[in-house]
Amino acid sequence: MRYILAALFFGILVLVYIGLYLMNKKTPLPEGCEDLKADCEGCHDFSCTHHPSHYMEKGE
Amino acid sequence: MSELVTLLVTSVLINNVILNQFLGMCPFMGVSKKKSSALGMGVAVVFVIVVAAIVTYGLYYLVLVPLGLEFMELITFILVIASLVQLTEMFIKKYSPSLYKSLGVYLPLITTNCVVLNVCLVNITNTYDFSHMLVYSVGTPLGFALVLYIFSTIRERLELSNVPKAFRGNGIALICAAIMSMAFSGLAGIV
Repeated sequence: MRYILAALFFGILVLVYIGLYLMNKKTPLPEGCEDLKADCEGCHDFSCTHHPSHYMEKGE
Repeated sequence: MSELVTLLVTSVLINNVILNQFLGMCPFMGVSKKKSSALGMGVAVVFVIVVAAIVTYGLYYLVLVPLGLEFMELITFILVIASLVQLTEMFIKKYSPSLYKSLGVYLPLITTNCVVLNVCLVNITNTYDFSHMLVYSVGTPLGFALVLYIFSTIRERLELSNVPKAFRGNGIALICAAIMSMAFSGLAGIV
């Protein structure tokens, strides 16, 4: 019973996260904030969306 | 009361999350090149950590413990922090465009900031009561913001200094961080 509760609880948390993620994605950006970028050049984690390589044009 | 003051001083200065526990190094190195960025990141971290700590503390004692699901704390806290960041970002986008302009870009970075998870877990493992949890959850991000801001002022000056080529960039920044860490360890005697 405990493990079913755990699975249910985990499922609810994941659903809440997905819901909030989609809602956040659909919320329009305020005016003047369309091209905001963090001044982050710290680590070499290329999967991070703030890594400068995501903003570079091809061949740059 | 003196215990709370001691906890606050300890969490801000002595057990500083960056210089003593070496957590949150990614934003410490990445967002400390400009004072304005450091300040924005610092404020965003304070906001997210305080809210995340209160929510996870409540969730642990009101849901996980009564249901006997304490073993779920880690996964629960990770998902709660990620959800909370989405919610905060959405709320700020909708109701405070000016705040979004200064903080918005740092909010997604905080999802992966291990300081947030550390504060939530320490609150539980140290079995803090609500007042201690609140003080610790305010003190730790304040220490983070303080060190980040001080470090950004140092790095701005380093940009203008004549640093030997081999040490330029992250090299000299890490040497400065090490000296700062030693300086902060000297504060251990004040409590």
